[in-house]
Amino acid sequence: MIDTTAPLAPSAARQVSAATLLRRVVQGGGMILFIYLALYAYYGAIEPRALRAHSIADLMNNTVPLALAAAGLTFVVLNRGFDLSVAGVISICNVTLAVAPLEGPGGAALSALMCLAIGATVGLVNGLLVGYARLQSIAATLATMIICQGIALVILRAPGGFVSEWIVYEMTDRLWGVIPVSGLVVAAVLLVWILIRRTDFGVSIYAVGADEQAAAMSGINVRRVRAGAYVCAGMLYGLAGFMLSAQTATGNPNSGAPLLLLAFAAVALGGTSLAGGRGGVFASIMGAATLMLLQKVLFSSGISSFYTGMFQGSVLILAVVFSGLIARIGERK
Amino acid sequence: MTFSKDSTQDRSAFAQTGDARGVARVSRETINAIAVAVICIALLLGARFINPALGSWSQVETVLVLGSFLVVLSFGQGLVILTGGLDLSLPAVITLGGIMATNWIGMTDPTAWYLLPVVLLACAGVGLVSAIGIVWLRVPPFIMTLAMSIIVLSALLGYTRGSPRGGSPDAATALMKSSVLGLPSVIVFVIGFVIVGWLFQSRSVAGRYLYAIGTNLDAARIAGVPVVLMQMVPYVISAVCAGIVGIMLVGYSNGATLRMGDDYLLPSIAAVVIGGSSILGGRGTFLGTVGGALLLTTLGTIISAIGLQIGLRTIIEGLIVLTALLLLREELFQKLGSLWR
Repeated sequence: MIDTTAPLAPSAARQVSAATLLRRVVQGGGMILFIYLALYAYYGAIEPRALRAHSIADLMNNTVPLALAAAGLTFVVLNRGFDLSVAGVISICNVTLAVAPLEGPGGAALSALMCLAIGATVGLVNGLLVGYARLQSIAATLATMIICQGIALVILRAPGGFVSEWIVYEMTDRLWGVIPVSGLVVAAVLLVWILIRRTDFGVSIYAVGADEQAAAMSGINVRRVRAGAYVCAGMLYGLAGFMLSAQTATGNPNSGAPLLLLAFAAVALGGTSLAGGRGGVFASIMGAATLMLLQKVLFSSGISSFYTGMFQGSVLILAVVFSGLIARIGERK
Repeated sequence: MTFSKDSTQDRSAFAQTGDARGVARVSRETINAIAVAVICIALLLGARFINPALGSWSQVETVLVLGSFLVVLSFGQGLVILTGGLDLSLPAVITLGGIMATNWIGMTDPTAWYLLPVVLLACAGVGLVSAIGIVWLRVPPFIMTLAMSIIVLSALLGYTRGSPRGGSPDAATALMKSSVLGLPSVIVFVIGFVIVGWLFQSRSVAGRYLYAIGTNLDAARIAGVPVVLMQMVPYVISAVCAGIVGIMLVGYSNGATLRMGDDYLLPSIAAVVIGGSSILGGRGTFLGTVGGALLLTTLGTIISAIGLQIGLRTIIEGLIVLTALLLLREELFQKLGSLWR
C-alpha cells in the first residue's frame, strides 16, 4: 500500500554506520525487546509480585495465543500479503476441542495434530487462492475467514462445551514449579523459525516479499513460496487455537475474532513492514507480549481497563512512526 | 465550445494510435455493473420458487432498507480503497456516531436535530486524525485506522462505562421509520445519496484526482494533483459516512450498543470488491459498489428466509464472495473484452 524502497543488498552496506546498525536492531526486534524489558522493569517496580513464578506464568499463558497468531501472520506479512483467516482458524480449532475433548496425553497430542491439520488445510486453500489463482490476499482471505466462521458456527452454535482436562491443566502448568509450559511452546516455535530462516524457503519468503519480480527471475518459485507461507501461517494459527482452548477451557464459535486486529497490531508493533520483506517472527512475538504486558501494567497503575485500548492504539502508532523514522534515517546516506 | 472540440481531437488521437485503453476500461466496469444488477434481480425473482412470500415488492423494500446502511458505508470505504488504502476504523466510527446520538442527544434533548451535524463533525475529526497519521506521519493505512479503531472504541467504552443509555433522536427515527410518497424515506435518502456519491466519484474534479492518485501517486503529483489534500479527503468522507450509518442504525433499532458496528466492516470491503473495484486502488465505480452492497443484502435476506442455521448461512455467504472474486478476476475480463470488440 505504501511504497517503501527495498532494503539494500548486504554487500552494498559494507560500511556499517551507527544509523544502519540501529536500523538493523530495530528490524531484528531489538527495539521491541527493549520496550518490553523497560515496561517489565516498571511493572516490577510498581507491582512487587510481578516477578514471582506464578504471575510470570499467568502473563505468559495470557500472551501465548496472541503471540502464536502473530507469529503465523508474520509469515504472510513478510510475503507482502494479508491474512484475515487467522480468526476463523482459531475459532474452528477452539470449538473442535470443546466438542470432541480427548483425554490424556495421547488425546492432547491428537488434538494438537488436529489443530495443525485444520490450520494447514485453511492455509493451503488461502495459498492456492492467492498464490495460484492470483486473487488479492485481503479479499481471498476475507472469503475464507467468513467460511471458517460459518464452519465454527456449524460445529458449535453457541458458547459451551468443555476442553479436555489434561490440556487445560497441563498446558497452563509450570514445569518444576518454574518454567511455564506455554512458554516452552513458543520457544519451540522460535526454534523451528530459526531453522526455517536458514533454509531456501526461509530466504525465499523474504525475497518474494521484498521484490517479487527479482525473486522470480532468480529462480524462486514465487507461487509455491507464497502458498507455503500461508500453510505455515495456518499451522501456527491452529496452535494458537489449541493454546487458547487450554486457556479458556471452553468452546466459543467467536473466540478468534478478538485476536484478529490485535494480531496485526502485534506484527506491526514488532516492526515487521506491511510492505513485505522486513521483520521477523521473534519481533512479532515480542510485539504480542508487549501488548498484553501493557494491559497488566495499566491495570496495576489503577487505570480503568476501559481505557486499555487507548494506550494500546497510541503505542502502536508511536512504534510504527518511530521505526519508520529510523528506517528513513538509515536509508538516507 | 473549445472544450468539446479538444475532446473530439483527443478521441481521434486515440483512434489513430489504436489505443483502446479507455474503451476497455469502460466496458469492464459496465459488464461488472450489469452482471451484478442481473444477478440481483434474478435472485429476487428466483426466490419466489423457494418461498412465494419472497420476491414481492415488500421484499424489495426490505432489501433496500437493510441495504441502505451498507450502501452509505461502502461509499466511504470505496473512496479509501480507490486511493489504495483501507479503512478499518468504520465499526468504531459507526459506534461513535450511534453512542453520541443516543447518550448525548437522546439523553438531553431528542428533538434537537441541529446537534446531528455536530455528531458527524466529531466523526470527521476521527477521520482527519487517521488521515494526518497516514499522509504526514506515513503510518500504513491498515495500521493507522486499526489503531484509531482500538482507541475510539476504548474511549467509548470508558465514556459509557460499558452500558450505553438513551434512545434515538427524533430526526433519526423520522429518517428510518417515516415514509415519503409511499416509499420509506430512508430509500429516498439513499437514492439521493447514491446520485451525489456517483457525481462526486465519477463526474467531479476531486473524484478524478482520487482515481489519479490510486493509479499512480507519483504521476498524479507531477500532473499537479494536490496529493496531500486529496489523500486525506477519503478518510474524512469515510468517517462521516460511518457516522451517518451510526445515526441510521440508532433510528432503526432505537438504541446503540458498543458492538453495533462490528458486523459491517467486512461486508463494506466485500461490497466494494464484488462491485468490481481493485483492492489496490485506481479502479472501480460507486454504482458497482452499490450493486455489490445490494447483492450482499439480497443474498443475506434470501438465505435467512430459507431458514438454514446461521453457520450454514455464513458458509454460503463466504462461498458466494469467493465465487464472485474468482469470476471477477482480471484475466477473465481481458478475455471478455476481446470478445466484445
